[in-house]
Amino acid sequence: MRPDERVKTGHLSERLGIDRRRFIIAAGGALGALLLDACDSQGPKSAQKLLRLAERGNERVERALFRHTAMDVPRAGAHAAGRHLPSYFISDTVPVWDEKARGTWALQVDGLVKRPLRLTLNDLSRLPRIGYRLDHFCVEGWTAIATRTGVRLSELAELAQVDRAARYVDFQSFDSDYHESWDVESALHPQTLVVYAQDGHYLDPAYGAPARIYSPVKLGYKNTKYLTRISFLAERNGGYWSDRGYEWYGGT
Amino acid sequence: MAKRHHWVVRLTHWINVIALPIMIASGLRIFNAYPGFARRGETFCCYPWEGKAIPDALTFGGWLAGARNWHFAMMWVLVVNGIVYLAFIYLHGEWRDLVPRRGDPRDAIEMVRFYFFRRREHPHQGKHNALQKLAYFSMPIITALAVLTGIAIWKPVQLSGLTMLFGGYVWARYFHFLAMVLLVALVLGHVFMVLSVDPYSLRSITTGGYSERLSPEKRNARPFYHLLPPDQATPAQPGSPDAS
Repeated sequence: MRPDERVKTGHLSERLGIDRRRFIIAAGGALGALLLDACDSQGPKSAQKLLRLAERGNERVERALFRHTAMDVPRAGAHAAGRHLPSYFISDTVPVWDEKARGTWALQVDGLVKRPLRLTLNDLSRLPRIGYRLDHFCVEGWTAIATRTGVRLSELAELAQVDRAARYVDFQSFDSDYHESWDVESALHPQTLVVYAQDGHYLDPAYGAPARIYSPVKLGYKNTKYLTRISFLAERNGGYWSDRGYEWYGGT
Repeated sequence: MAKRHHWVVRLTHWINVIALPIMIASGLRIFNAYPGFARRGETFCCYPWEGKAIPDALTFGGWLAGARNWHFAMMWVLVVNGIVYLAFIYLHGEWRDLVPRRGDPRDAIEMVRFYFFRRREHPHQGKHNALQKLAYFSMPIITALAVLTGIAIWKPVQLSGLTMLFGGYVWARYFHFLAMVLLVALVLGHVFMVLSVDPYSLRSITTGGYSERLSPEKRNARPFYHLLPPDQATPAQPGSPDAS
């Protein structure tokens, strides 16, 4: 570069009347402040839209991968968790169905169905019973093995004569209105059960008594405990943790 | 002047510089939600820090859901970037500079001996010396392991065959963690060697330009030794091959 060229082009710092080092420090500081301003602990705010876009893309991939024939088979030698299975609920204390105040517990099956159902625990236990030794995949990264016994959801769907327009299912509970909605394909997987017994005993209140939904094809938080109502819907209906930032699909 | 690194290699390198730390830090935040490997009701043989969380300062994403959203978005960047890079070096011939040859393990040992002052002269450098070749060759392999174990713990039911291949969910998760540890070790080693032995390669990986006069072999450079060019006392004359 010839000396006279330098005058013509003139670095921005020269035009501002500060030396180059000062300029770099000031510019760096300003850029840093800008980035920090746009950041909270979850990264730049502008990225959140992209993250949601990626989540939708991932859901498409996961739904394309989904097969009813893909079944969970826990490792043969692995131990059942038993009482080491954590018991999660969102209420302050263990939710217990209060028969005196609310009458006999019954599970409602409604929405886009021809025959809405209302099933007490007795009704459920008279339906074809199925038990699986299954993995539990928690979103936190742990797994646990338990034997889950109950009725296939596909069995209830058949009884209720679910409409073809039903693409989603919402599982609602009496645990401070906890609910999670699913895609209907996952809900009708043969290992998706309305569970009323675990490891050979009726469910303990800590584990979702009187009944819960359980499927190894979904992460733990998608499997509503303290079940009260199963609604077949045309549109998805979010969910407790899905509305708080966890993936809505939550498949395994 | 011929560029030392093609722009595709430079671009994919710097995308990795962004994507890999985000993947690792968000992965550590996910790990902290259950910082161990044992299945509930069991113990795990092979991790001595079961239950000990990673310091928050090394994590990214804020909380489990935030970290998962970053991890599951950035994984596509990492995978696509990796495929572009591998396809490019395969089609463009750069793989020849990276795939280790017969003599390379022995030459890599010579490099280590040189770095620890067991040998006076820098072994043959070339574009990458034998030790670099082993490191750069193993990185895509370990990354592939990280990606496959990642898919195995993402879809342990729908892709249970893959999960079983790694010994089930618990082991797949362990190998996913292990692959991360190996990658971190390689990256730290790489950055340390660049800064302490060949900082001039920062230019090659950014603009592509390089100067043979500054090669580690010409400088006989070990970590923090002979960082400056050998003929520092006599500046290059106009017309010398390096002045361009």
